[in-house]
Amino acid sequence: MLKHELLVVGGGLAGLAAAVEGKERGLDVALVSKLHPVRSHSGAAQGGINAVLDESENCHDDSPERHAYDTIMGSDFLADQDAVKIMCDEAPNVIIEMEHAGCPFSRTGDGRIARKAFGCTDYARTCFGGSKTGHHLLQTLFGQAVKYQLTMYTEWVVTRLVVSGGRCHGVVCFDIESGEFVPIAATATMFATGGSGQVYSTNTTNALTSTGLGISLAYRAGVPIKDLEFVQFHPTGLYPSSILVTESCRGEGGQLINNMGERFMKNYVSEKVMELGPRDIVARSVQTEINAGRGFDNAFVHLDLRHLGEKKILEQLPGIRKLCITYAGIDPVFKPIPVWPSQHYTMGGIDTNEKTETEIIGFYAAGECACVSVHGANRLGGNSLLETIVFGRIGGSAIADYVPNADAPVESKLADAVRQEQSRFNQLVKGSGKENPYRIRDELSFVMMEKVGIFRNKQDMAMACARIKELKDHFSHIRPIQTNKSFNYDFLWVTEIEGNLDAAQIIAESALAREESRGAHFRTDFPTRLDDSWLKHTICEYTPDGPKLDYKPVKLGIFEPEERKY
Amino acid sequence: MNLTLRVWRQKNAQEKGRLETYQAHDINENMSFLEMLDVVNEDLIKKGVEPIHFDHDCREGICGACSLVINGIPHGGKKGCTTCELRMRNFKDGDTITVEPFRAKAFPVVRDLMVDRSALDRVIQAGGFVSINTGGAPDANAIPIRKDIADQAMDFAACIGCGACVAACKNASAMLFVSAKVSHLSLLPQGKVEREQRVRKMVAQMDIEGFGNCTNYYECEAVCPKEISIKSIARMNREFMRALVK
Ligand SMILES: Cc1cc2nc3c(=O)[nH]c(=O)nc-3n(C[C@H](O)[C@H](O)[C@H](O)COP(=O)(O)OP(=O)(O)OC[C@H]3O[C@@H](n4cnc5c(N)ncnc54)[C@H](O)[C@@H]3O)c2cc1C
Ligand code: SF4
Ligand code: FES
Repeated sequence: MLKHELLVVGGGLAGLAAAVEGKERGLDVALVSKLHPVRSHSGAAQGGINAVLDESENCHDDSPERHAYDTIMGSDFLADQDAVKIMCDEAPNVIIEMEHAGCPFSRTGDGRIARKAFGCTDYARTCFGGSKTGHHLLQTLFGQAVKYQLTMYTEWVVTRLVVSGGRCHGVVCFDIESGEFVPIAATATMFATGGSGQVYSTNTTNALTSTGLGISLAYRAGVPIKDLEFVQFHPTGLYPSSILVTESCRGEGGQLINNMGERFMKNYVSEKVMELGPRDIVARSVQTEINAGRGFDNAFVHLDLRHLGEKKILEQLPGIRKLCITYAGIDPVFKPIPVWPSQHYTMGGIDTNEKTETEIIGFYAAGECACVSVHGANRLGGNSLLETIVFGRIGGSAIADYVPNADAPVESKLADAVRQEQSRFNQLVKGSGKENPYRIRDELSFVMMEKVGIFRNKQDMAMACARIKELKDHFSHIRPIQTNKSFNYDFLWVTEIEGNLDAAQIIAESALAREESRGAHFRTDFPTRLDDSWLKHTICEYTPDGPKLDYKPVKLGIFEPEERKY
Repeated sequence: MNLTLRVWRQKNAQEKGRLETYQAHDINENMSFLEMLDVVNEDLIKKGVEPIHFDHDCREGICGACSLVINGIPHGGKKGCTTCELRMRNFKDGDTITVEPFRAKAFPVVRDLMVDRSALDRVIQAGGFVSINTGGAPDANAIPIRKDIADQAMDFAACIGCGACVAACKNASAMLFVSAKVSHLSLLPQGKVEREQRVRKMVAQMDIEGFGNCTNYYECEAVCPKEISIKSIARMNREFMRALVK
């Protein structure tokens, strides 16, 4: 049986960072990924990564503390402040190490790392590599992983997390090419499986692979899931494909305009902030305009860059210009860009502490699939890339401390799990009814967008919860899947859809229970933040009868909660 | 629009493949080429035929997964575009389109239109990274780099490892891919230190993997979706000569 000290699941930035750290600390590390690492979704990040570098030119008084304050304010005070502090303090080191490893960052005229302004801060502290920041970071970390000759099992999909007696023993993978289930025993397992945007598949900036599977596998194995009701909608997805139009467009001065030609953000936030308000507020403002009939075709608003002029657009936003021409057939030099709010980021996830440890011994999580929590109820642009590398590395290091004294994984548990997976496969091949799984996925996404989207209320969400239960029931009566072993994408998609159903159910049940508005979770029936009763994390656990909710306190201690005003 | 597709079908690396003909009906001109294939696949699944396998993920031109040869040209010949960025408005009603995998000795077909590109990884493994922490600056500081140099390095670093350059080349050379990496790293102070051994090792690995030599056909530059300039090849040749005389 394959056996490793550290098994990382996921080859995005968080997974690679953990694997490289583990290697540096001398562990026997392997990485499983359903995609080749450099094809991971981290590569799609355009905008940038936040860090306060001490030589800031136009912001001498910026500091990691201010970065932490902006992050915590942005999170609507739901972030755990110890974790935020760690992240902001580590940020400069991350940038310098990535730079030293060959990551090309954009530069100022005098050769220093350039910074730009993202939302929710007075300071320019977002470092970037052209409009391909995620790509450059991913390639750089992949180079480091290759340098350490990291063992990689690519195009293997983990379909089961093996937990028994409160301890994790490893995973079962499905090798896409051979069609075999392969067990991997591990002293420590780390999930870095990314976000779950495909729960909202009709309108998301996330790639097809960002399903809820990782979160669902952990949940089914008994790992608590935290704050999953907090779903970020990005104000500017391209209409109608939902491809992301980066926040940099607004950072450079892009304006949001309704069908009356009005720059409507002035009705929602102060004149100073305008389009650069927090994502949750800007997304709600855009949706309010559309709902009130002030959008175009009742579906989108305009993001206007024309006043920036051709020169600036070509120099500062060439990627966005190309993207608009390719996908929408319009050139932003001459025409405004049609945009609508699109699902973008999963703030919640597998519950971890600031060392990436979970409730289960030997099981860790980092990156978008995890919830440390540094983003709380609303993430700031540029903080997520940062989180992946900081906490990926912290995880690798925590695991290196854990492994020497840990018990070896029990191989018989894995052998049992493989048999269970095999019988699940056989059952799916036989089929249990006539339901079309893809129709279930489409309907799920429709329900989530309609009823657990940007604006929420009790009645809608109760309907969504009931509907999800029905869809789960339909899922237990799906038509037979394809029978071939190798390249059985039908099997894989059915497995992913089951994961989506779990993730959707956790989101909807957690959201229904939270009777307040905080960050991205906005309830029309409870429109204010209620710290007395709700300044706490939602913790959701699996039971055979459905999700069970509990709560735990937010770690404060540095900044006192205050009203969030922009 | 309605189209006739001739698609390469192949069960695995061992078995022989062949072109099969399928019809694509009611294709909207705003669809991407991959969405068009999705439509065809839905139809095939309904008829109980095994769907066409092809690589894809992000569908926005950044992950480097998609890899089709369309009417003889890798990525279909629209300047600066990957297959997933190619729109159906570039075709006409009634067209016949031939779709094949990226072909090269170093890229065995895995299934249908999917090829194994791990040879490119092994070339990177030979030296396409920075292994010494250096750069002439104290460790805790960023290294100043002239903006024009940084911009050049960034253009070379845009390579997404799709392998279209290999598929386009009569010699199946991976020169553009390798030279992009070599040029990116050797331009930066942090990558300069190991430049000789890097280029030597990467070139040696390229030969081992069965990629051909570059004889200046320049087909690679024309199909590269990231528009990597063949100047990188000249740069790399200079680096290589330098490494040899050292
Ligand atoms: C379009 C877009 C733009 C963005 N821009 C920015 C930005 O400018 N700044 C910023 O800070 N953040 C940005 N973000 C957010 C940020 O990119 C992501 O949150 C972050 O990259 C997630 O990294 P990750 O390593 O956690 O996951 P990912 O990069 O998504 O990687 C997940 C990995 O897990 C693997 N995997 C998943 N499930 C399984 C399984 N069951 N078995 C095996 N392998 C599995 C996948 O193959 C993949 O390798 C953006 C996000 C999007 C979608
Ligand atoms: S050089 Fe261009 S064509 Fe070749 S692998 Fe890189 S991006 Fe693809
Ligand atoms: S699918 Fe990612 S580049 Fe085409």
